[in-house]
Amino acid sequence: MAAGRCFHQVFRLSVSAGGAAAGRTGIRRSSGAAAQHAAGPWRLLGAACVQRLAVISEERRPMEGRFSELMHQMELERSLMSDHELRLLDDKKKLKRRQAVDYDSEEEDDEDRDQDIILTQDLEDAWEQRRKLFHTQPRVQGDVDVRVERPDRWLTEPLVLLTQQEVGADKLWLLPQTPWEAGETLKTTAQRALSSTPGLEMQTVFLGSAPCGLYKYRLPRAVRGSEGVTGVKVFFFKAVLRGALPPPGPSSIWARKSELKDYLKPSYLDKIRPFLLDL
Amino acid sequence: MPTHGIGRWKYLLPKEAPRKKRDRLQMKQIRAATDTEYGSLSVKVSGYDMTVVEHYSQYIHNLCNRLRIRVAESYALPTKTTAVMLMQEQGTKMYVDALLKTHERIVQISSMNATLCPTFMDVVLQNQPEGVELTVKEHAERDFLERFKARPQLEGLMAQVNQRD
Repeated sequence: MAAGRCFHQVFRLSVSAGGAAAGRTGIRRSSGAAAQHAAGPWRLLGAACVQRLAVISEERRPMEGRFSELMHQMELERSLMSDHELRLLDDKKKLKRRQAVDYDSEEEDDEDRDQDIILTQDLEDAWEQRRKLFHTQPRVQGDVDVRVERPDRWLTEPLVLLTQQEVGADKLWLLPQTPWEAGETLKTTAQRALSSTPGLEMQTVFLGSAPCGLYKYRLPRAVRGSEGVTGVKVFFFKAVLRGALPPPGPSSIWARKSELKDYLKPSYLDKIRPFLLDL
Repeated sequence: MPTHGIGRWKYLLPKEAPRKKRDRLQMKQIRAATDTEYGSLSVKVSGYDMTVVEHYSQYIHNLCNRLRIRVAESYALPTKTTAVMLMQEQGTKMYVDALLKTHERIVQISSMNATLCPTFMDVVLQNQPEGVELTVKEHAERDFLERFKARPQLEGLMAQVNQRD
């Protein structure tokens, strides 16, 4: 009896403790879920990492070229003839037969009464003529590659868009970013960063709703000031350029991954480099 | 005989169910996309060169296996043949210039991690070969029905039956 009462008391105590704990965590959870005020300790910024992907494949290295030629030759020698090639051989045989001395056109021409006027060789010649009219663009244009603001430089490598923005007192090269406003998702902030800046309107596709990187910057104590701003957090979202290339805009450059160290600060570049894939 | 049946072992094996003929293709459950989750996605690869298209779809499938993205199905749609007709220079008759065959391969993904999605898409896009088109869209039932060829005789008979009723 006494043991049963003890157990009942213990049970009630544990239930009340659990209930109180749940109540406390419940309160904390609801305050965290509410929209953060703009005047919190960290300023939030959304940035878009826009990439222009490689347009053409890289040139083959000498070993790769030799190997691919060898494989092509092997496959050619092992393959069967196509209909077109069989017809070519047939036509050649018929021509030879007709030019022979003992050709009797009435006897041997029975089957070929309704033969085509166009020989297969003529078709091939016509195709060759059309091929000569087609001109290809040069793969590498050295004078375009040097101009940093043009999006059609270095067609074999992916490029990243950088803009010059005023941060504090000085102008820095950064990925396009803009402050977050209450009530919107960080992805829409990144999209706004692109559409609101005058030189950066382009057709992009954002690759996902989750950010791919984070850069935290603590302000120096002198600047921290009365608002109690400890620093700035920048969330990066990946996007890919789609459709036509935009015209070169003011204060924006398209940089390869190897050229980024010339424009970005080392601490910023360290946070960006992991998510810029170099394949 | 004391040693009768000494070498018997097949009775010890578990009973196998009798092998049935191949069933009609059943649609796997399609998950609809909600506000917080991606649903069933299908990655469609299409192009004129079959070897390149197939190798690229195999690459995507292997990448999903490596990144632990669950692949529901991986199949090919029927080949579409396009005849390029050219107008003759002297005359109004069109003649067939070339036959282009469009090959399509689909990798159907059942669940995609939101954090993994940008990385996965970036890798897939950077390795896209020339001459191949890539589309990623939500999987729907009409995409499943696209796999089957149209049966005009059956449709004609069904129309007749419906008309009589």
